[in-house]
Amino acid sequence: MTEFTLPPKQKKTPWQKMRPYVIGIILLAIYIWTFTSIEIRWSRVFSQHTIESLTRVIPQLFSPDWSAFGKVMGLMWETLLMAYTGTLMAAILAIPFGFFAARNMVKNKFLNTASKWALNAIRAFPELVLALMFVAAVGPRPFAGVIAIAIGSIGMLGKLYSEVIESIDMNVVEALEANGANKIQVLFYGIIPQIIPEFLSYAIYRFEIDVRASTILGIIGAGGIGTLITIATTNRNWSEVGLILLVIIVVVTLIDIISAQIRKRLV
Amino acid sequence: MIEFKDVSLVYPNGTQGLKNINIQINPGEFVVVVGLSGAGKSTLIRSINRLVKPTGGELLIDNENILKYGSRDLRKLRTKVGMIFQNYNLVKRSSVMKNVISGRLGHTGTLKSLFNLYPKEDQALAYRSLQRVNIADKLYQRSDQLSGGQQQRVAIARVLTQQPNIILADEPVASLDPPTSHQVMTYLRKVNKEDNITTIVNLHFIDMAMEYADRIIGMRAGEVVYDGPVSDVNEATFEEIYGRKIRDEDRVGGSDDE
Ligand SMILES: Nc1ncnc2c1ncn2[C@@H]1O[C@H](COP(=O)(O)OP(=O)(O)OP(=O)(O)O)[C@@H](O)[C@H]1O
Ligand SMILES: [Mg+2]
Repeated sequence: MTEFTLPPKQKKTPWQKMRPYVIGIILLAIYIWTFTSIEIRWSRVFSQHTIESLTRVIPQLFSPDWSAFGKVMGLMWETLLMAYTGTLMAAILAIPFGFFAARNMVKNKFLNTASKWALNAIRAFPELVLALMFVAAVGPRPFAGVIAIAIGSIGMLGKLYSEVIESIDMNVVEALEANGANKIQVLFYGIIPQIIPEFLSYAIYRFEIDVRASTILGIIGAGGIGTLITIATTNRNWSEVGLILLVIIVVVTLIDIISAQIRKRLV
Repeated sequence: MIEFKDVSLVYPNGTQGLKNINIQINPGEFVVVVGLSGAGKSTLIRSINRLVKPTGGELLIDNENILKYGSRDLRKLRTKVGMIFQNYNLVKRSSVMKNVISGRLGHTGTLKSLFNLYPKEDQALAYRSLQRVNIADKLYQRSDQLSGGQQQRVAIARVLTQQPNIILADEPVASLDPPTSHQVMTYLRKVNKEDNITTIVNLHFIDMAMEYADRIIGMRAGEVVYDGPVSDVNEATFEEIYGRKIRDEDRVGGSDDE
């Protein structure tokens, strides 16, 4: 018989042993509490009225009104342009944030932390909230949507950029410094080649997200296809809503596929 | 000529990297620095191009104390001192040519280098350097597509393109197998002889040190404990430097297969 010794058991304090159960019970309590306190009126959810509306609406959703195709595509195009402009602005503006937040570039704890906090603060705002603010500030125009997208994306891109920068091979930087290159040369020869593919890849990924986000911005008047959704639903023009949804689904899927292909090739 | 005059280095955390080093290295010499891990070999080599800054004494290169240099003088010094690293430190996504021409960065204006406007002589020099280490056929390949030995040869070509007076090599073969190690050492040795470049190499392996060095410097705990021509060195010398018996793993074995 071969001798074997089991690895020693990891030592756990009583609290560590209890923790999963305590958390589980707290979560369960929260669920029960919410469901008992919100008073869903099931009789209304499944009322005759709802069923009648659904049987009226759903068939119309599935028979899109192709006469509106030109108008819908025009606004979808505007939506894409909004997303593109917003992402592009963010992709560029996030670069300085990324460098300031990266500990291996700016050796100043205060600046690092300050930029990381700024990026986190920006990320805390949903696009919709930003868009509401900008519609109020610049009026109900696509420009409001573009700015909302741009600012919303800076938070995420800046953070991802800083992580890319922190993961580069600093030995390469040292090698270039060791042969007498100045700071700008080190940046262009040693750092940029290491970060460009990831930066591009993240920017394209963010464009995917922004296309989806900008389809709904129109609902609050910030431009794009969302405007049409509001109009069509208030008019109960369900077959036009059907067409809009179809166009959004097809375009968003196409963009996801293309972007995935490009990103696969980049890195 | 490189002169260490009572050079000491204490790292910020209090570790004594170098202790009262007094050595002179003459132009064209091929010096191998040996010692156990942590003995201070890297610290010694990296002082010469000021990747680390000694905290005491004087370090003279061609009679100038480089410890007094500001950043401008430092860059000028570094254009004349090439460095080779254990992990090659090439820009992996850039082509071999781009890596090699980056040896000229210190000699080229910022704008020119950003737009790749290198003079014809520099381009020719880069190509010639690649030919000298027999890797010119990989010119436009991405450097991460090369093997370790090939990457180290590209790193040598990059240093040659610098046209340095001094080459520092910190464990240049520690990541390579024995035949490739010998090949890389042979190229370093060849360049040293042909161009009369002072070469200082850190090595772990005693047989390799004996085979390529003109002179051996032994270090222990931040001090130079041996300094002499390779002809005076034998196994007992190494046992003295290492402070223990020589083991099998201190030898790389094998020899040049070319
Ligand atoms: N940046 C640093 N900060 C603090 N201590 C350091 C630093 N670099 C090296 N040391 C210490 O200085 C001493 C000498 O290190 P050095 O790297 O010069 O040794 P070495 O001879 O090159 O060793 P190895 O063969 O492992 O590369 C070691 O004790 C090491 O821990
Ligand atoms: Mg070392």
